[in-house]
Amino acid sequence: MSATMGIAPGRSGRPLGRLGRSVGQRFGGIMAIGVKELRGRMRGRRAFVVLTVYLTLIAGVAWMIESIAERSMANSFGGSTNASAQIGQGIFAALLILEMVIVIVLAPSFTAGAISLEREKQTIDLLITTPISSLAIVLGKLFSALVYLFLVIVASVPLTALVFVYGGAGPEDLLKGYVVLLVTAFGLGSVGVFCSSLVKRTQPATVITYALVLLVTFGTGLVWVFWGSLGNQSSVISSQPQPADGSIAVNPVVAAPARPPEALLWLNPFVSIVDVFCGTETGFGGTCSIIATVTGRDPNLVQNGAGANFGGGAVAGPAPAQIVKGGVIVNGGGVLAPVPVPVAAAPGAAFGVAHDTFWPHAALAWLVVSFVLIVASVQLVSPTRRWRLGRPFRRVRATAAAAVSDPTTVPGADPGIGRDPAAAPDPETTPDVRPGPERAKEASS
Amino acid sequence: MSHIVRTTGLTKRYDRTLAVAGLDLDIAEGEIFGLVGPNGAGKTTILRILATLLVPSAGDAEIAGASVRRNPDAVRRVLGYMPDSFGVYDDMKVWEYLDFFGRCHGLPAARRRRVVADLLELVDLASKRDAYVQTLSRGMQQRLCLAHALVHDPQVLLLDEPASGLDPRARVELRELLRELRTLGKTIIISSHILPELEELCTSIAIIDRGRVLASGRLADIERRLRVGAVLRVRILGDGEAVEAARAWFERDPDVAAASVLDDGTVEIGFRGDDAGSARLLAEAISAGLRVITFARAASDLEELFLQVTAVDEPAASASGTAA
Repeated sequence: MSATMGIAPGRSGRPLGRLGRSVGQRFGGIMAIGVKELRGRMRGRRAFVVLTVYLTLIAGVAWMIESIAERSMANSFGGSTNASAQIGQGIFAALLILEMVIVIVLAPSFTAGAISLEREKQTIDLLITTPISSLAIVLGKLFSALVYLFLVIVASVPLTALVFVYGGAGPEDLLKGYVVLLVTAFGLGSVGVFCSSLVKRTQPATVITYALVLLVTFGTGLVWVFWGSLGNQSSVISSQPQPADGSIAVNPVVAAPARPPEALLWLNPFVSIVDVFCGTETGFGGTCSIIATVTGRDPNLVQNGAGANFGGGAVAGPAPAQIVKGGVIVNGGGVLAPVPVPVAAAPGAAFGVAHDTFWPHAALAWLVVSFVLIVASVQLVSPTRRWRLGRPFRRVRATAAAAVSDPTTVPGADPGIGRDPAAAPDPETTPDVRPGPERAKEASS
Repeated sequence: MSHIVRTTGLTKRYDRTLAVAGLDLDIAEGEIFGLVGPNGAGKTTILRILATLLVPSAGDAEIAGASVRRNPDAVRRVLGYMPDSFGVYDDMKVWEYLDFFGRCHGLPAARRRRVVADLLELVDLASKRDAYVQTLSRGMQQRLCLAHALVHDPQVLLLDEPASGLDPRARVELRELLRELRTLGKTIIISSHILPELEELCTSIAIIDRGRVLASGRLADIERRLRVGAVLRVRILGDGEAVEAARAWFERDPDVAAASVLDDGTVEIGFRGDDAGSARLLAEAISAGLRVITFARAASDLEELFLQVTAVDEPAASASGTAA
């Protein structure tokens, strides 16, 4: 009893001590949530059953791809010099795609209930009345979900390393693949947390999250192809009277405006994965041509689009397959000089194929999206901050309205505007025009 | 005595309805302050504003000198809050639950361990240390929730209907616990519509209806101010005749407004006098030869008060139903 009295909060007056405490508190809050979440998630057999099932699945798929590739190699002639590499690339592609599918399936389910479950169970009030910040709540929830997801991903590393036995994909390719997986997991996790804090109940939050994920993974690909097909019609009509400029039949100048923006596919994790496969290719292959079509960097790809260099290309899901079609139809504004590349390119020969042209952009785009979603989630979770967000908006509107009416009226002629507190440019009412991060920083302090 | 909680013109508006209308409260350190009012009076809203879960539409509240508007973090550090309805996490043991909130408050590991052990002892859950939270009974969960609010040794405790859903035994235990906390120097703000519970516990109360304070201060002061009559219950030894004679005798007293015999043979007296008056009445009754077994004030003073002040029948009627 007397011991409970002895736990008076420590009040250190030293500024260093205070700073340390504030930093410690922020980090400690994330840790607190994370430890709690992980304790719950790892308890019992569930977590390990999921992991085991997943690894069995991965191993099975790797084995099947390996035997398929081996058999097809045995039947073909002349491909024996790099058959091993092709098997390696096939396994690499299959595993990466499988892992991406698992990330896409699991990340939303781990995070879509993060905040809404707290609301449903009425535990969020207990959390908010502790000194941990809303940022710590959101990040703690996100990280704990991701830690488990990362565990699932990392557990597959030894299996994926099977690729090294066959060659064809180096450690740097594996690393790139995992970076794309992790960034995608982080991004999709942020989408889940955002939906969870936006929608009050878990069920609709989960549905919305999966809808968004489907939109991003398949919807963007469909829109991209659709956009491309529109461009094709116009370019075919307009290119007919014009002479072909060298290597390509379609005039790139006419076709260029119709090429869908690359940014449309940035959030599509499968396109990033395809770009990683492109990194494993030594010449022009199926995957590099897809990426070149997307980024519009290499006009030569039409001829090499059907390149048989990459055996695992058929595994690349429906979306990239559609893109191939779109890629054949549409042509980019060529910036690179057309390099004549033989269809059967010798392995190891560099023909100026630009690797890693797409996925770094995509990863960056996901990080930006995640950042925005996390800031928005923090605003939605915090009862006090939500209100602060509303006021500047109203002020912006009020001041904007006043600014519009100001020049048209003689100053002082309409005392109503002058007296309007919202129109007065004093520091209390001027809208907060600082960039988001800075505001978020202040809000979370 | 210094005021640890102070609200000035505290107002909360939800769209059209005014949940709290310009509330001015001063609560001194070490008090057990009761917020009484019918359902929907704004008690929970007031507590949620104090707990920094809601931002007031106007006015402000200060807890230990920190404003809930400008410095909610400082408020959270001195405040323990136990909500009206609260949930528990699945997959969590009792000690982990307290440990988690200890982490949230940034307690270092060694102190956390000690605090968890102490608190489990305090709320009498030490034997349930390794039980899962969701397997606890309602009363145990309530005590656990109270313990969670004490993890950081707050100066002020906000308890929203802490006794709702508890059986009488658990309620008595809770009351003992709150008394104990008061001796530890905590200021406790407690809301309830179960009036007798507050009457025995609180040093001051505020009667609230439709977001306004109708009366506040020490219970005795409010009573005196409103001149509320007490209800006395007297049991007389003897058969129906003796009881009826006693009733007639009581009714002749100038301070007695009315006297009636209840079904169980108790004489219920509407009494206008104060404590001295009831002492006098008892002395006279005994000297008049009435064989008094018990002579007590009914525990419904506050209810009477409440009914008078709020003039709302329905919630008080339900409260008296649960008061037994």
